[in-house]
Amino acid sequence: MQPVMGFMGMTHLGLVSGVSAAEKGFQVVCFDPDPARIAPMRQGEMPVSEPQLDTLVATNAPRIRFTADAADLQACDVVYVAPDVATDDQGGSDLGQINTLLELALEVARLDAVVVVLSQVPPGFTRGKQRVGRTLYYQVETLIFGRAVERALYPERTIVGCAKPEEPLPSAYATFLAAHNCPILPMRYESAELAKISINMCLVASVSVANTMAEICEHIGADWSEIVPALKLDRRIGPYSYLTPGLGIAGGNLERDLATVCRYADQYGTDAGVVRAWIANSQHRRDWVLGVLYRDLLSTHAKPVIAVLGLAYKQDTHSIKNSPSIALLEHLQPFQVRAFDPVVPATAVAHPHCYGAATELDACAGADAVVIMTPWSQFAQLDPLQLAAQLRGKLVLDPYAVLNSAACRSAGLRYRTLGVQS
Amino acid sequence: MTNNPERVVLLGAHGFIGPELERQLKAQLTPILAVSSRQLDLTAADSTSTLVRLLRPTDAVVMLAALTPDKGRDTATLVRNVAMMHTVCTALSQTGCAHLVYFSSDAVYDNAISHVTEDTPAAPQDLYGAMHLARERMALSLEGSPVLVLRPTLVYGHRDSHNAYGPNRFARSAKDSGRITLFGGGEETRDHIAVEDVAALTVRCLLKQRSGILNVATGVSTTFSAVADLVAAQSTRPVEIVRTPRVNPITHRHYDVTRLIKAFPDFRCMALADGIARMHHSLNQESHG
Repeated sequence: MQPVMGFMGMTHLGLVSGVSAAEKGFQVVCFDPDPARIAPMRQGEMPVSEPQLDTLVATNAPRIRFTADAADLQACDVVYVAPDVATDDQGGSDLGQINTLLELALEVARLDAVVVVLSQVPPGFTRGKQRVGRTLYYQVETLIFGRAVERALYPERTIVGCAKPEEPLPSAYATFLAAHNCPILPMRYESAELAKISINMCLVASVSVANTMAEICEHIGADWSEIVPALKLDRRIGPYSYLTPGLGIAGGNLERDLATVCRYADQYGTDAGVVRAWIANSQHRRDWVLGVLYRDLLSTHAKPVIAVLGLAYKQDTHSIKNSPSIALLEHLQPFQVRAFDPVVPATAVAHPHCYGAATELDACAGADAVVIMTPWSQFAQLDPLQLAAQLRGKLVLDPYAVLNSAACRSAGLRYRTLGVQS
Repeated sequence: MTNNPERVVLLGAHGFIGPELERQLKAQLTPILAVSSRQLDLTAADSTSTLVRLLRPTDAVVMLAALTPDKGRDTATLVRNVAMMHTVCTALSQTGCAHLVYFSSDAVYDNAISHVTEDTPAAPQDLYGAMHLARERMALSLEGSPVLVLRPTLVYGHRDSHNAYGPNRFARSAKDSGRITLFGGGEETRDHIAVEDVAALTVRCLLKQRSGILNVATGVSTTFSAVADLVAAQSTRPVEIVRTPRVNPITHRHYDVTRLIKAFPDFRCMALADGIARMHHSLNQESHG
């Protein structure tokens, strides 16, 4: 008989994980202590935006129970504690909610149920929460905003932190994990907790290389996009290595992990110079758009009008936390700005001269420059000739190379992107 | 929000930057008290009490006074410069002020560092840089008033009295002898900013009562060779550019001026070619009359 799954904390992680479990065929209890959060979810209104999420909720409705009654967790064989963990501006984690929900889980779940901490927690957390008579695990989450459902349904591997890694996993838990058809890697709690951070450090290292080398390309006439395929064919680097240059590290989770590693290094006296260099490089790269915009427009035009496409911190998400677009707009206060985002309303922008455009072309109407700050896929459909017709000036800043550079140049646009000289 | 200071006190008003700053402040209709070393020797025994009598708590004070490197880079010069700052800080601790702007130098940075931001650790390699770093710390320790430290890159303008290597020396040398001498091939890159821009940015900082540390640079670095070419191209007489055997290693200096851009996104620095043209014009006017 299939185990009944419980997911506590109906924010991004818990919700997506619960719905994905239902899609895998499991009966799921989705719990949140806040009835006001649960009520709209019962009507099919989800508080987060992720591709496929709404469809899966509708499709799997008979298997999902949204509830604010903790007693409903008694039906569960496995209870995941999975609230999002908020981060502050210094990269510190707020463990308040995970602590509260975990205490609740340990109190209300059946004694034979498996409790799994899914939220990202610092090394040492899970071991410190063990309780006699309770089976507690830690599982590394690999949520990516904009790809959360895909990542939950088809994980590359499952990393499980255990009190005794050499012992088999409980049957209900093992059955659930087996449904995902990927390697399962049991290890001690601290290794699993640090594994998540380690994954992110590898990603940051790779991105930092890309950003550093792309910046050199911009000065010496090389094109980073020509170099990347050669790197990916090197087995030591690999076809899935993260080598796309960007505007620094955004989103909160990577920054949190960078801060965590620095904190550990300071605490234990280990060397984290390279990590601090990554952080500095990220901050440096975040200002690429402002620097190019200043060089090519602001320093030469008295009253420029700037179109900004994209406000979210990344595509396919509503989140503006640490968004490069929002950060840019903070420094364009003296200027007229015309903004458009498919999901985030322009009212989210604190700017005295911001026009909220209805469409991308509406944003570009009469602008001296257009800056594509979030690589929404729909922006790739923009016709450079139409852009050129709408714009007053011809400057296009496209850090993510959403548009075709050759087509833009053919349309008479002054096209600027990361990794190539302009 | 901008606030015109009630009065700006310029200490070291008759150097290189002071007169241009005074001119631009007057254009803003800002009341000014310009104090030069002839009027007040900040190393004199009674200078503190004299300064206390001059200052008002509502003043914005701009500290430019310093013995520049051409007057000495030794310990004695450092001590005198620090003594000047001690006078100023002691006086300000008694009178208070609305704003203190300290003119430091890029000499606080290690010469070997090629990419500089305000977060680059200060690591002066000589006593002149050490002097400025010490004076920065003295200024920043002033309590009760916002303090701004400005670290200018190489400043050029026709009134430069130090004949600094770069646009200043090249323009004079081109005019006087028709010859520009480069160290090595002039491969080093440096950021050169016109004195007019330095003054304009300072005025903006005064109006906004900015505090903290700000590098004053254009963000565009040019080789000395290219600067020489620009000067020669704009000279009214033929100019020979002479390259000499290289003695010192080539070093480069680039400023990331993001903080400046964020502070004043609508500020436009003069292009080097335009600044050199202006300097040529001023030098020619001087010699004619």
